[in-house]
Amino acid sequence: MLQSRLSVERRKEAEKNLKCPICSRKVGEQGYCRLHAEVYEVVIKKYDRWKKATEMSWKEYLREIAKNPLTGEWAREVAQYLIEVEGQKNVKNS
Amino acid sequence: MGKYTLIITEKPDAAKRIASALDVSQKPKKKGDNGVPYYLVTRDKEIVVVPALGHLYTVSAGTEEKNSYPVFSFNWVPRFLAERGAQRIRVWLQVITKLSREADAFVDACDYDMEGSIIGYCILKYACGDKEGVSRRMKYSTLTKEELERSYVESLPHLDFALIEAGRARHEIDWLYGINLSRALTLAAKKWSGKYRTLSTGRVQGPLLKFLVSREKSIRNFVPTPYWQIKAHVKIKGQAYVAEYAKKIIKSRKDAEAILNACKGRGRVKKVDNRQFQQSAPVPFDLGALQVEAYSLFGYGPKNTLNASQRLYLDALISYPRTSSQKLPPAINYQSILKNLNRVQEYRGLTAELLAKPALKPNEGSREDPAHPAIYPTGNLPERLLSKPDRNIWDLIVRRFMAVFGDPAIRQSVKASINVNGHVFYVKGKRTLEQGWQRFYEPYAKSEETLLPPVSEGESVDFKRVIVENKFTRPPSRYNPSSLLQKMEEVGIGTKSTRADTIQTLYERKYVRSERMTVTDLGFEVFEILKSHCRKIVSVEMTKELEDRINGIRQNSEKRQEVVAGAIEILKPVAKKLKQKEREIGERLSSAVERTRLEESVIGACPICKTGKLVIIYSRKTGKRFVGCTNYFEGLCKASFPLPQKGTIIMHRKNCRGCGWPTVQVRTGRRTWALCFNPDCPLKEEKRQRRI
Repeated sequence: MLQSRLSVERRKEAEKNLKCPICSRKVGEQGYCRLHAEVYEVVIKKYDRWKKATEMSWKEYLREIAKNPLTGEWAREVAQYLIEVEGQKNVKNS
Repeated sequence: MGKYTLIITEKPDAAKRIASALDVSQKPKKKGDNGVPYYLVTRDKEIVVVPALGHLYTVSAGTEEKNSYPVFSFNWVPRFLAERGAQRIRVWLQVITKLSREADAFVDACDYDMEGSIIGYCILKYACGDKEGVSRRMKYSTLTKEELERSYVESLPHLDFALIEAGRARHEIDWLYGINLSRALTLAAKKWSGKYRTLSTGRVQGPLLKFLVSREKSIRNFVPTPYWQIKAHVKIKGQAYVAEYAKKIIKSRKDAEAILNACKGRGRVKKVDNRQFQQSAPVPFDLGALQVEAYSLFGYGPKNTLNASQRLYLDALISYPRTSSQKLPPAINYQSILKNLNRVQEYRGLTAELLAKPALKPNEGSREDPAHPAIYPTGNLPERLLSKPDRNIWDLIVRRFMAVFGDPAIRQSVKASINVNGHVFYVKGKRTLEQGWQRFYEPYAKSEETLLPPVSEGESVDFKRVIVENKFTRPPSRYNPSSLLQKMEEVGIGTKSTRADTIQTLYERKYVRSERMTVTDLGFEVFEILKSHCRKIVSVEMTKELEDRINGIRQNSEKRQEVVAGAIEILKPVAKKLKQKEREIGERLSSAVERTRLEESVIGACPICKTGKLVIIYSRKTGKRFVGCTNYFEGLCKASFPLPQKGTIIMHRKNCRGCGWPTVQVRTGRRTWALCFNPDCPLKEEKRQRRI
């Protein structure tokens, strides 16, 4: 509960201030700062490899990389953020 | 005292050694003037040996204001005029000047390298009154009596001016880069935040930060990819072995499972590949190789290894360590060194074996240094009890010296290919047949020894169990001071004497932290600013080009004035651009400084709210320290934990193995322990139970 409340507040705040929703840097492409935008691309691109290797869904993939200790700090932040966003979308749809 | 020869050395220890070596009775008279030691030597002619204290002169701004940039005019001045806390140099120079008045001959006996040459040159020119043109030069690689005497008797008729010019150019260019870029960063941050914080970059520091940032980005952006590996437990002649599947990486789970299902029952040996190969002896140590080896064997950082080697050199136990040579010329007299080392019991058997060889020929590397050979032991034995690091480094150098004369080691490898239902597995083994040089390099020589499979072609192999392992690709490993030093050598930036210091500066500026070098937010921001406003400054190519031009001065193909003027031309537009963007740069740097400060006090993720971070906070009311969550100020988390008020708190960024909560290390006196904040930690409960 607390976590989802935090993420909603964080996003609202970030959108208002034109700041990256993950860190507080200036927002650039795709609604992220330059550093997180770069990682976002990597996360998207790597999904193809995971899908071929494991036939995982997008959500499962995000969960896997978020908990994998080898995942880089920024990549994990993006994965966790995407999980939160997906979760909120589901809540809205239901 | 009548007229005498004045010998100038780089350090007091070297002065003592040189004076003892040149004195007829080996007992020179030690004198002192205002705390500055010097030695009176009796020989065919009277000699005074006076030491410097490393660099006594430095480059400093001409007439410009102290806190402004760009600065392009400079002078060489005594260090006490340019640096706070260098007041001792004033007296030192006065004494040298006084001693030079009665001297009728001058000898520069500073270390024969770029730095030593500049030290001697500046003293002769400025403190002794333009004596650089009439001075002779001693050239030696060890501080042993024999070599020092020879280098005095056969001293070079003049200083090595090409080396001096190259050194001056390097100092002047580095100073120009450092002063302009560092002032630009520091002043921008100060103007924005009102707070002073030294921020620096330089000709070598910039590209170095580039390597680190690029590696850090690949680590932080890393998304692991799954792959599978297949291994089989097999039995050959009753003995168990592990066989590896021929294809090392299987990219999909489905394929891995299909292979697993197919590999059952018995296999047959298809081919046995039996090979013998030689491993040549290692090459002698240059400074970089010694620093890398000492790091991997003892965990000593490059700077510590350099300091230990410097002490050993001043004790005349090893040759000059700041060398890039991998050659050992016969002139150093291998036999005499080995005979002297024979007096040490641990080396006795080994040296005797080498001395019994019909000829001693070292296995040399390709790198050369015009001034010095590779690092080698002089054969002298320690006169004092060596500290553990000094002893380890000396032993390493001695054993490496012996190993380079050893015969190649002979190794055998066996690789058997086993076919099971159309799938191929390998069983491998390796062993040493003849140790060769490895015996001389024990315990530092390591080679993999695995049992050889006793198989022949066509033999049947029992597949007991086949295992599929799910693995993930790994991120690139972080640089450590030793691997970063290797990288600097590989790309040819910095010098052997300054590389370790440049790495240290990155830590001092808080651009990186911890042994496995992690770039801080500040490090990222400094690099990003330099990259966006002056890309050339962080370019390795440009740094290397300047290095090549400086080396050109040494070979008389370039002129110092032209190389320095070229560097100024590069810097002018950069300084202008940094000035124009001062406000933006100041804002970015100030916020990065703040983030880094916060990052430093972060213990780990808050285990209560999961989104905040636990940090150390000092109470305004009581001044006491405690741990709190960053979300407290937003009213989202009230997590707080007490901390011991005495002792040092170290962020070791490790989680508790009992409950996974972040921990800190507390150090009081000699006692250090890990502190977990979780009051319900199962480990604490266990301890309580044990006490009961």
